[in-house]
Amino acid sequence: MSYFFQLVISGIVVGSIYALSALGFVLIYKSSRVLNIAHGQLIAIGAFMVYALTVWLKVPILIAFLASMVLTFFMAMSVERVFLRRLIGEPIISVIMVTIGLMSILDGIIYLTPFGSVNYSFPAVLPVTPISFGGVSISWTQLVGVIITVILIGGFSWFFKRSTLGISMRAVSDDQLAAMSIGISVPRVFGLAWAMAGLSAAAAGAIIGNITGLNFDTLRAFGILVFPVVILGGLDSVFGAVVAGIIMGLIQQFAGGYLDGQWGLSGTANVLPYIILLIILLFKPHGLFGTHEIERV
Amino acid sequence: MSANRWLATGNFFTSYREEQRIFFTHLDRLVFVAVLVLLFAWPLFFELSNKYMLVVNHTLIAVVAVMGLNIVTGYAGLISIGHAAFVGVGAYTVAGLATTLGDSHKLITHAWPLMIVLSGGMGALFGAFVGLPALRLKHLYLAIATLSFQMIFEWVIHFMGFFNQGQTIYIGRVHWLTGEVGRSSHYVFWYYASLVVVVITGFGIRNLMRTRFGRCLIAVRDNDRAADAMGMHPGLTKVYAFALAGFMAGLAGALHAYLYRGVGIESFTLHHSITYLAMAIVGGLGTLHGAFWGPAAIEFLDIQVEHLSAWAAQIFPAQGNLATALRPFSFGLVIVLFLMFEPRGIANWWRIARSYVKLWPFRY
Amino acid sequence: MKHMKIFLIGIAVVCLLLAAAGPSRAEVIKIALSLAMSGPTSDAGQPYAKGVEDFFKYVNEEKLLGKDTIDCTIRDDQYKNDVTKRNFEEFLDMGIPIYLNYSTGSTLALKRDFEEEKIPTLPASFHRGNVEDSNYIFLPIASYSEQCIGLAEYIARHFDGGKAKVALFIHPSAFGRGPVADLEKAMAAGLNIEIVETVEHGTDLDSTATLQRLMSKGVQFVIAQTVQSPVATFLNDAERLGIIAQTFGEKDKITFMGAHYTGGTDLIALAGSAAENFFWTTSYRLTSVPGVGTEAQLALAERYGRDDKTANSHNYTNGIMVAQVAFEAIRRCKAKGNPVNRVNLTAELNQMNGLNAFYPVTTVGPVTYSATDRAGVDSLQLYRVQDGQWHAVDAPFRSEYMRKVE
Repeated sequence: MSYFFQLVISGIVVGSIYALSALGFVLIYKSSRVLNIAHGQLIAIGAFMVYALTVWLKVPILIAFLASMVLTFFMAMSVERVFLRRLIGEPIISVIMVTIGLMSILDGIIYLTPFGSVNYSFPAVLPVTPISFGGVSISWTQLVGVIITVILIGGFSWFFKRSTLGISMRAVSDDQLAAMSIGISVPRVFGLAWAMAGLSAAAAGAIIGNITGLNFDTLRAFGILVFPVVILGGLDSVFGAVVAGIIMGLIQQFAGGYLDGQWGLSGTANVLPYIILLIILLFKPHGLFGTHEIERV
Repeated sequence: MSANRWLATGNFFTSYREEQRIFFTHLDRLVFVAVLVLLFAWPLFFELSNKYMLVVNHTLIAVVAVMGLNIVTGYAGLISIGHAAFVGVGAYTVAGLATTLGDSHKLITHAWPLMIVLSGGMGALFGAFVGLPALRLKHLYLAIATLSFQMIFEWVIHFMGFFNQGQTIYIGRVHWLTGEVGRSSHYVFWYYASLVVVVITGFGIRNLMRTRFGRCLIAVRDNDRAADAMGMHPGLTKVYAFALAGFMAGLAGALHAYLYRGVGIESFTLHHSITYLAMAIVGGLGTLHGAFWGPAAIEFLDIQVEHLSAWAAQIFPAQGNLATALRPFSFGLVIVLFLMFEPRGIANWWRIARSYVKLWPFRY
Repeated sequence: MKHMKIFLIGIAVVCLLLAAAGPSRAEVIKIALSLAMSGPTSDAGQPYAKGVEDFFKYVNEEKLLGKDTIDCTIRDDQYKNDVTKRNFEEFLDMGIPIYLNYSTGSTLALKRDFEEEKIPTLPASFHRGNVEDSNYIFLPIASYSEQCIGLAEYIARHFDGGKAKVALFIHPSAFGRGPVADLEKAMAAGLNIEIVETVEHGTDLDSTATLQRLMSKGVQFVIAQTVQSPVATFLNDAERLGIIAQTFGEKDKITFMGAHYTGGTDLIALAGSAAENFFWTTSYRLTSVPGVGTEAQLALAERYGRDDKTANSHNYTNGIMVAQVAFEAIRRCKAKGNPVNRVNLTAELNQMNGLNAFYPVTTVGPVTYSATDRAGVDSLQLYRVQDGQWHAVDAPFRSEYMRKVE
């Protein structure tokens, strides 16, 4: 039975890291209707920044973590300014493709740095001994990851519900024209959405990098890995991303824990999310919590 | 109809029938025939090295695949991030038969045109199946459904022993009227085979766009609800579009399998799906000739950047990283620049050039 | 002015003619390598390429072939087989007598071309499937299968708690699965271990449950056949659960082991302290165990201004060694006065055995090839991480059961 509970706990932990990775996606999509395929690269850049700051510039890790979030905040904002601002109002396919182009460009830039081809790992800061209770264990890194996820997601939820800026962002996502007519600067909102996505990507990168080590291939793969999460939750729902992240984490853990090895199956954890995603989409075409758009001719 | 059947400076249509013509003037037809003759004749007079012949063939195959992608993404406006998987379905149809029958079975080596068509059929089947969610899903949700197919396809191939777990499955050398096609004539032979496929399917699609179905596609892209109100069935139209795209991809896959004489999963990954999309965009979505420009431009770019990075590696010997970084960087930059400054793709340049010629010596 | 121009052109033409028909007659031998310097596995590809590049530069600068030089073209194929094939066709047109390849996928995809062209090929992939039905592919060192069986034999020989329970941790592809079947054959031939479970990893962020399952099944050893990053994640989780054996075969703990691409400095870089007591096998010498070979390697790296990470990477060694083998075949061919071509180089490689075996200082044993032996260095060295460094364990050994499996 403790095996079962371990799977549940691991699933929740992994799921909340997925949720954090997915958060950036959702923020961008929510405000500007852009599907950012280069998100994996943002995650990788966030992780590399934390490493560069802590190990090469000897900045204390906590400050490095915050500093990298600030840096990616501005970096993502300028990415939006340079690459996406011109494409406001273009068809979806152009906007998707521009993020694909962006992905390649960021790849190129990362290959210029040592991170493109050399592996690193964060110095151990947190205690190695896990927290155990009744045969179930969770590592400090993971726990901190979950806490950061909760803080960030709570923060963003509050931001969208209460702050003026957050409300103006929601207004833009609801109706750009109407938002403009009451004096909200739409481009500024888009820039801000990207900046916040960059910030959350840096946080996700730092946590994933702590768990997997800093390998460019592994980190950028998360850009694709979180697709089922965001779609399942509904592209524009922060809450949906959390629920879907945890569902996906649980599915993966249970698939790995119970399916693999049965009937000659293997590696099901990688494919099952997509299968379940397809099935759910057939019944809920806008994901679990996505907005149903009312289309008019 | 203009008085001069060779040149027309404007539109002189007096019936819809005339507007639907493929060639508006005799000059159009003449140029087209000349280009076609040139395409078929040049290998007889001019020998290209194997490398460049391979590049040319690879481009032609990409043209077939991108024509398919153009139907679903360009004409019908449905984003497909799983096109390489459909190409893979075609390739693995040939490979699957090679596994069961042996790679030099007569069916594979002698009846290869049949195999190519069969692969197209399999592609269409899978296309229709994957297109089924299009009955309910829209926009990005649909795009992600195609992405799911890409992921599931890769997993299945990696998993199944029947498909050699993604390792290369060999395809035997084919036979033609003159006997076995050996190594020396392999690339030229497949140049002609691919060219024939490109020409036939190109004509097919050009004509398809003149039919009711073709107009349905565009109506659904522009507004599927309006199309619905006009009495079309948007869902079925989308499924047909996916099936047709799958068919073209299947053809491309079989050609790929024969050209490379082997099928391995590495040629049909997500990265390739993205490359096909990039080719379609750079060429120009929703135009037939865009499907020719795009692959040619991307392949050309790749070769040029390869030269450039070889040169960069010589200039900065210790900085091997710079040479490596150039390739992804330039690929991305080209996509972004096209989207920003020429979102209608190279096809638009062609249109501008044509209208310039048409009006020459006058300007607008 | 016009005369001046004609005069200058005349001089240029004369110079060119002199250069072409000069007395030196130095031969430039063209070699080529296609590998992934960007895209997947580029973390291994980059140092590998540098190893090859540096060694040939060294050969040319030190005039090891007399007047002749080696011109090695290195191309990035981004881990795409189609591009590898394109590069290969171009290399053939250049007239290369020997080809250096990289990934398992591309080696298998081009196997038939190598056969038809009868061109000797040295890949960076040690997949045993590469050499099946092939006369021209020469693995630099023992295959992954041999490495895994070697590890299993080491377990069977040194574990004193009865029949060892082993789990395999593998890459979800043919690259990972290849050795599994061979291990099973070795067990059928009498290798005294028990394979409890085969775990195929994904991009896992948490392997706690998997590890607990292995523990509950009484697994004492894990043999990994994949790349470093997943192993590092797996080890991190194991460390946290406190189940990494601190000595070989410690009771109620798991001893982790792995084949060539699981280890090296990259593993320590990725896993940190969790890499402690990881057992790893390869045929290369490592810079953390100083010796003649490693000194030479570090000197080479310093000479061409390589950074520390590259200089100490086992993939840098890997690249150097492959270049050494190619060079040695050419040198021997030249020494006999034979023209350097595919036939002669294949023959030279096939004669590299017995008295003619080649001893590159970078490996733990000699390179031996013959018409039936397609793996270069048959000896394997077991390494173990202690205090963040790889240390050699025992003397180099050879796998016995591999002979029975083949």
